[in-house]
Amino acid sequence: MTTKNDRYVVVHPLDDVYETKVDTEALGPMPMTRSVRYSLLSLRAYLILMVLLVVYHVVMLAR
Amino acid sequence: MTNKTLIMPAGVSAAGSAAGVETGVTPVRGRVVKSKGMRDLLTFLMVFGPGLIVMVADNDAGAVSTYSQAGAQYGTHLLWIVLLLLPVCYFIQEMVVRLGIATGKGHAAMIYQRFGKWWGLFSLVDLELVNFLTLVTEFAAIDLALNKMGVDPRYGVPLAAAGLALLVMTGSYRRWERIVVFLCLLDFAWFFIAFRLGPPLGQIVKHALIPSMPAGGITADLMFLVIAIVGTTIAPWQLFFQQSCIADKRLRFADLKWARLDTLLGACITITAAVCMMIAGAASHAHGFRFTDPAQMAADIGTFAGPAMRSVILLMMINAAVLGTTAISLSSAWAYGEVRGWPHSLQLPWREARGFYALYLLSVGAAAGIVLIPRAPLQLIILGVQVLAGVILPSAIIFLQLLLNDKELLGEHANKPWNNWVNWTIIAVLFILSLVLAAQVAAPNLFPSA
Repeated sequence: MTTKNDRYVVVHPLDDVYETKVDTEALGPMPMTRSVRYSLLSLRAYLILMVLLVVYHVVMLAR
Repeated sequence: MTNKTLIMPAGVSAAGSAAGVETGVTPVRGRVVKSKGMRDLLTFLMVFGPGLIVMVADNDAGAVSTYSQAGAQYGTHLLWIVLLLLPVCYFIQEMVVRLGIATGKGHAAMIYQRFGKWWGLFSLVDLELVNFLTLVTEFAAIDLALNKMGVDPRYGVPLAAAGLALLVMTGSYRRWERIVVFLCLLDFAWFFIAFRLGPPLGQIVKHALIPSMPAGGITADLMFLVIAIVGTTIAPWQLFFQQSCIADKRLRFADLKWARLDTLLGACITITAAVCMMIAGAASHAHGFRFTDPAQMAADIGTFAGPAMRSVILLMMINAAVLGTTAISLSSAWAYGEVRGWPHSLQLPWREARGFYALYLLSVGAAAGIVLIPRAPLQLIILGVQVLAGVILPSAIIFLQLLLNDKELLGEHANKPWNNWVNWTIIAVLFILSLVLAAQVAAPNLFPSA
């Protein structure tokens, strides 16, 4: 958006030049503290348990 | 405002967009306006879209069913819970807005790149599965509503699927967005429905602002409905959809405040529409009808409010399912395209993004096909959707929270301490509800029955 002699130019995002964003691929995996890593491991265990519970329940209902 | 279009030479952008769209040397086309007010209004209108769509599409067929059932069973007693969800859905989606604008990439790609393959694949597979099952429920709702309108679903459902396919195949993000925003604005019909059917305003305000328990206290049915209301108001696909949508629309840092306003506006409209759906359910209950499904509720309401009201509710049910279907299928196709590195933009024609469009068409076509199979286990699918969504949501929000605290990624747009307090509180509540749901599935007699 630019100003020129009290006139404003409004540009639709799709008509604008592509804005440079952070290069996420160059950043690689997120650095994590030990507590975050362990928390994510417990989350993984919790999710696996929950999915197994869901599968069991659905199989029981389907029978 | 002058109606001028200005074309300016643009600088060369070295990087292509994450969606695979060529963004090299293109002339910048702008609209010239004479006042700051017009500039702000026009900028807002140009940015407006993803926030409204994600919120209104969240009031999909499942939501219509859940809110109207809550109204039919408990009257307006649960309105305060719906109102509490307004800030919750805004805060969650606002984080998505910041992440989308800062990275220009979708949520699935972010999880894959920042947390590794295991989490990337788990989130993707879970999302695709829940989304597909949800799509089946959307078409089941279209089937139900068409049946009640006297239209043969064997023709109506494939026609709806074909319309949904054409909607995205135009090779223009803007065209898709304009049509979908128009469909979203049709949701205002719920306000009219509630106004015509509504109980006394004082009762609505009282139950919306003062938390109260329905007669009978905490029962298994009530707990299940509360979890269903939360689950239907904050769904995992919303995180993926809005971030990908923002990336596809190529929103800029300067658009952040307008994208936030878009999201807030969408949240207000969707929550008000949810309240209206609950009021419709309560009205049918007040006339002695028992809730079975929203299409039957429309027919029941038609007996005392007239056939026009019946048709409006049925049409709104179809509209909700259509909006849900396009948003959910796109969130699946965007997420898969991002992780696989395929071109994945609505700006691309079919021949340049075959995988992306094929996945969208496959999701829509297969879900519509399943609904047409006689005696398909739809009730089992609906249950599966609710439970799987309950499983994926807290973990998806944890990743969102971790990403929003990633200073390398977001810099000045990372979460502030107050953001974190709010979000960890939301995550804790969602985890508790998710555990209650799991406990209820494992031990159905945990809470007394009604």
